[in-house]
Amino acid sequence: MSENVLHIDHLTMRFGGVVAVNDLSMDINRGEIVALIGPNGAGKTTAFNMVTGVYQPTEGKISLEGRDITGMRPDEITKLGVARTFQNIRLFSSMTVFDNVLTAHHLRRTSNFLTATFRLNLAEEKKMRQESEALLKEVGLWELKDEMATSLPYGKQRLLEIARALATQPRLLLLDEPAAGMNPQETEELGAFIKEIKDKFHLTVFLIEHHMNLVMDISDRIYVIDFGKQISEGTPAEVQDDPAVIAAYLGVDEEEESNGEVGA
Amino acid sequence: MKDLTRKKIDSATIITGAIVIAVLLASFIAEQFMPATSMLFTVLKKSATYALVAVSMNLLNGFTGIFSLGQAGFMLLGAYTYGIFTIPVAERMNVYQYYNGGLVQFVVPWYVAMLLAGLVAAFFAFLIGLPVLRLKSDYLAIASLGFAEIIRALFQWDKLGPITNGSNMLRLFPSFNDFNIRNASGEVVVYLDTLVPLLITTLCVGIIVLLINSTFGRALKAIRDDEIAAEAMGIRLASHKRLAFCVSSFFAGVGGAMLAMYQATVQANGFTTIMTYEILLIVVIGGIGSVTGSCLSAFLFVAASEWWLRFLDQKQMLGNFEVPLLRNGFRRVVFSIIIMVVVLFFRRGIMGTKELPDLIRGFKNRRRKEAASK
Repeated sequence: MSENVLHIDHLTMRFGGVVAVNDLSMDINRGEIVALIGPNGAGKTTAFNMVTGVYQPTEGKISLEGRDITGMRPDEITKLGVARTFQNIRLFSSMTVFDNVLTAHHLRRTSNFLTATFRLNLAEEKKMRQESEALLKEVGLWELKDEMATSLPYGKQRLLEIARALATQPRLLLLDEPAAGMNPQETEELGAFIKEIKDKFHLTVFLIEHHMNLVMDISDRIYVIDFGKQISEGTPAEVQDDPAVIAAYLGVDEEEESNGEVGA
Repeated sequence: MKDLTRKKIDSATIITGAIVIAVLLASFIAEQFMPATSMLFTVLKKSATYALVAVSMNLLNGFTGIFSLGQAGFMLLGAYTYGIFTIPVAERMNVYQYYNGGLVQFVVPWYVAMLLAGLVAAFFAFLIGLPVLRLKSDYLAIASLGFAEIIRALFQWDKLGPITNGSNMLRLFPSFNDFNIRNASGEVVVYLDTLVPLLITTLCVGIIVLLINSTFGRALKAIRDDEIAAEAMGIRLASHKRLAFCVSSFFAGVGGAMLAMYQATVQANGFTTIMTYEILLIVVIGGIGSVTGSCLSAFLFVAASEWWLRFLDQKQMLGNFEVPLLRNGFRRVVFSIIIMVVVLFFRRGIMGTKELPDLIRGFKNRRRKEAASK
C-alpha cells in the first residue's frame, strides 16, 4: 500500500563553508501530503532545489520511485514526473494564462522542430490545447485565459503556477510556499484545493509552507528542519508537541536551558 | 466562447496575408513600368536581404533571449558558399586567377546553392554553439563577435585561396539581375529582379513565423522569460538554445547568399562588425520580439540611409538661397540623429512586441467599441 515515491538518503548541500542542508533523510509515499517546515533559512528550498535538480547535492542520494535521480538535469527530472512551483512566482511573463499552461505540454511532444514548424503535428497541437483548456477549467482560471499571466492578482498567479505544473502531468508535486502572501480565507481555500487536485490527479504532494494552520490541516506527515538538520518528524499532532520543534520556532528560554543543564 | 482547441486563422491573419501579397504584386507591377535604375528597386532588394537577416537575429535575440553578435560571420559563410558553388566553370579561370581556377569545378543551381549557404552557416553555428552557448548575455555576445571576426580573417587566408579565392573577390556568379527574363536579343521582357528576392524573404520569414508560433516557439519564449521555470517545465535548455542558434544562422546564411546576389561580388572584408551592428540597429528600431517590426525597419533603415537622405550629400538651392551645412557625408549626421530620436521616442522600437495581425485586431476592437458607444 505505502509505495515509496521519493526517497532522500543522507542528503547534504554545502555552499562553500555554509552547510545549507545537513544529512537529511526523508521518505514520501504515494498519495501522501508531506510538509517540510522550519524557520527561515533552515534549508527547505535548498532541499527542493536538490530534488528538482537545480542543485547537485554535495553528498547523498535521491531516488524517485526507486530510480536514482541524483545529478540529473531539472528537465530530465520533470520528464520523470516531478513538477514544482516556486517561492517567488516564476510565470512566463510575456505569455497569456493559456499559453503558460500550453507551454508546459511541450515536454510530452512527439514532433520535432521541423514537423512542428510545418504544422505536421496538428493532432498533437490540438490535444495540447484541449488538455490546457480542461486543466484551466479544472482550476477555475478559464475565464482569465487571455489575460497576461503577470497581470493576474497574486493569489491567481499562484494558482496558475500550480496549473502549469500540473500540465506536465506529474506524479509528485512540489509546492514551495504556495500560500505565501495569501489571506486566511484564500489559504483555507488553497488547502481544500490541494487536497482536491491530489485526489483528482493521483498526486503525491510535498510542500514547504509557513502557514501552520494550512500545514497542520492538510499534511499527513511533517518533517521539521532547522539549520539544515532534521529535528523532528511525524504526524501534525506529534510534531506540534515536540519540544525540539517548539524550541526551534520559539527559541529556548536561556534560564530554563541552564536550569535543565544543572538538573542533568 | 472562442474555440481555443484549434488555433484559429482569424480575419486579421488573412488581412495580413493579403497585405503581403499586395506588396509583392505592387513591386512586381512597379518593376515592369518604372525605370529599372530607380532607387526604389535597389532599396527593396537590399532591404529584403536585411529584413531576412534581421528577422533571423530577432529569433535569437528577441524570441529566445540569446544575445549573439555573430550575424556578419554567418552571412559571410552563406555568401561564400553561394558564390563558390555557382560561379560558372568557364569563368573560374578568370575569378580564381591566382589559384589556377580553384578547387571546385562544378556548379549547382542557385536555389541549391542558397540552401547549401544556409546549411553551411547552420553547421558552423552548431559547432561554435557547443562552447559559446554555455555563456550568458554579454559574454556570449563577445564570443560570437569574435567568431565573426575570425571567420572574416580566415576566409582571406592565402592558404585557403583555392576555395575562397583568398583576399580577392568572388564574382560572375548569378545575381538578382539574372532573374530577369530576356528574349533572344538580350532585352528584358519580364523584370523579376526585385520580386524574387522579396519572395525568398517572404518564404523564409514565413517559415520563421511558423516556427515562432509552434510549440517549439513557445518553448523558446519560455526560455527567454525565465530559464529556471522553463527548465522546471521539462524544456531542455541546451538543445532548444542550439536549435534557435542553428535556425537563426541558417537564415543568416541564406541572407548572406542574397547579399552576394545583390552585390554581384563577394569579399570577406565587407562582412565587418559594422554590418552586424546595422542589423542589430534594425532589430532594435523595429522592436525586439517583433517580426513585423524587423521587416518594416529594414526597409526604413535601408531607404533612409541609401535613398531618402541622399539629397543631404549635395548642395541644394532653395531659390537663390544655398542651404547651409549640406555637403558630402552630412547624410550620416542626420541619419544618426534620426536614429537617436526614434530610439528616444519609441523606447521599445516601432512595433514593441506587436505584430501586424495584432494591430489589425486592435484596430477592429476600437471600431467595435466606437460602434457600441454610439
